Amino acid sequence: MSQNDISRTADLMVTAIARELRAGESVFHGLASTVPHVAIQMADRCYGKNLNYVNITGGYKMHPDKLQVSTDGDNLFNGTKCSFNLTDIFDLAARGRLDTAFLGGVQIDQTAHLNNTCIGPYEQPKVKLPGGAGSAVLVPNAHRALVWRTKHDKRTFVEHVDFITSFGNVDKVFTPLCVFEKRQGKLELYLLYPGVTYEEVAENTAFPIGNDYKVMEDLTEAERACLAEIDPERVRDTEF
Amino acid sequence: MSKVMDLSAAVALVKDGDTVAFGGNVLYRSPVGAVKELIRQGRKDLDLVKTAIAYEVDLLCAAGAVRSVTAGFVGYEGEFGLCRWYRKDVEGGTVKAYENACYSVITAWRAAVYGVPFLPIRGMTGSDLLEHVGFKTVKCPYTGEEVVAIKAIAPDVAFLHVQKADEDGNACIIGPSYEDLTIARAAKKLVITAEEIVPGSFFAEDPHRADIPAVVTTAVVHLPGGAKPCAVSGYYDIDREELRAFQSAKEPSAALAAAGL
Repeated sequence: MSQNDISRTADLMVTAIARELRAGESVFHGLASTVPHVAIQMADRCYGKNLNYVNITGGYKMHPDKLQVSTDGDNLFNGTKCSFNLTDIFDLAARGRLDTAFLGGVQIDQTAHLNNTCIGPYEQPKVKLPGGAGSAVLVPNAHRALVWRTKHDKRTFVEHVDFITSFGNVDKVFTPLCVFEKRQGKLELYLLYPGVTYEEVAENTAFPIGNDYKVMEDLTEAERACLAEIDPERVRDTEF
Repeated sequence: MSKVMDLSAAVALVKDGDTVAFGGNVLYRSPVGAVKELIRQGRKDLDLVKTAIAYEVDLLCAAGAVRSVTAGFVGYEGEFGLCRWYRKDVEGGTVKAYENACYSVITAWRAAVYGVPFLPIRGMTGSDLLEHVGFKTVKCPYTGEEVVAIKAIAPDVAFLHVQKADEDGNACIIGPSYEDLTIARAAKKLVITAEEIVPGSFFAEDPHRADIPAVVTTAVVHLPGGAKPCAVSGYYDIDREELRAFQSAKEPSAALAAAGL
């Protein structure tokens, strides 16, 4: 992708996620989560959604002046009025009090199994992936999991994952082309980004994508201006 | 009595085959100075435990010091990519990966803190990790609910790198504490490496400053820069040059040389 294409895609994905977040809900992202982090900032600072936003460092409702690529460091902690650490967040989810968790998936299949563990058999992996971090508990324990992946091809959206790292309350999956929604246990196309064709998504997905979808409304001038203000250095592009 | 030791004496508390836990998280407050000393002392067959880990595991794998890794996430963030030497060892079958959810690692430590053999956990349902990593389930004797039972892990030795400690082993963490408070209480022996040794009066003025109470500390090492090239809140940022040099090395020996070993 050209830099222009990357920036365009990052803006659409971040905006799609920011619009999806619900006012006042509790929401968590972990490490290496630049795209959801920028989306949470956008939801709070462009739409005033006042999220109960927690992150891996223990910071609560953080709105750093300067966004960073890393989502694990002290710029998501310094200035917090309380420390609500990762253990607290997992416990919150376990007792049914976390609304939304952001998780990634290297492989995702139609039933919304996520694989972050390995390609090939677990005991003798062809590729050992970094691991699911909190996903095996957060996907079933949070009220809903929002999944994002910055690649959309048939190696990512597979018929069957090689390994089920996590399974549970996946609600939507955000990709560089579209948003999938889980309906009756299956992922289907929900929202097509402007400028992307149905065929493009179908050709790059190894499972049937259904026919019940809308085209996402493009960013408004106000949304563009707000994103430019909160993330002028475009850390959101670095995940692509 | 002072628990201050030099680094080599404190690291010598670790024996070959020990279970070793590290504090911090990925590139933040990781006890890298202690890890490098483990390599200098030639420790072998270590079972490593941490929720989310990167440089320590990659250094120790490059040095051939690892038997297994129990972790939820093994990798750098963003620009630094994957843990190459860990991956190579797991794919080659020389290191065993016990992939967990970060919460199950925390629960394993908590079971050790509580002095019980296991603790039940909510979640992990539908995950292949249960079968392949060997997590077992247990039925609640009161409700009949089936839950996953996480076996206790009491690390033989844990290393935490902190900003301030006194010679008795009270320690103060500035910025994110990650899982350090739990690890400190789960470990059989706890080694604190500290940017600064402060007088005990620092803690006497307000005992709530002691995130780690001296009660659980075995040794204190004055080790300025003890997390480099990882970051320490209020002291230094990530040293991207050292990490890039390590990551670009093609052989384990070159990677270790890039780390000054």
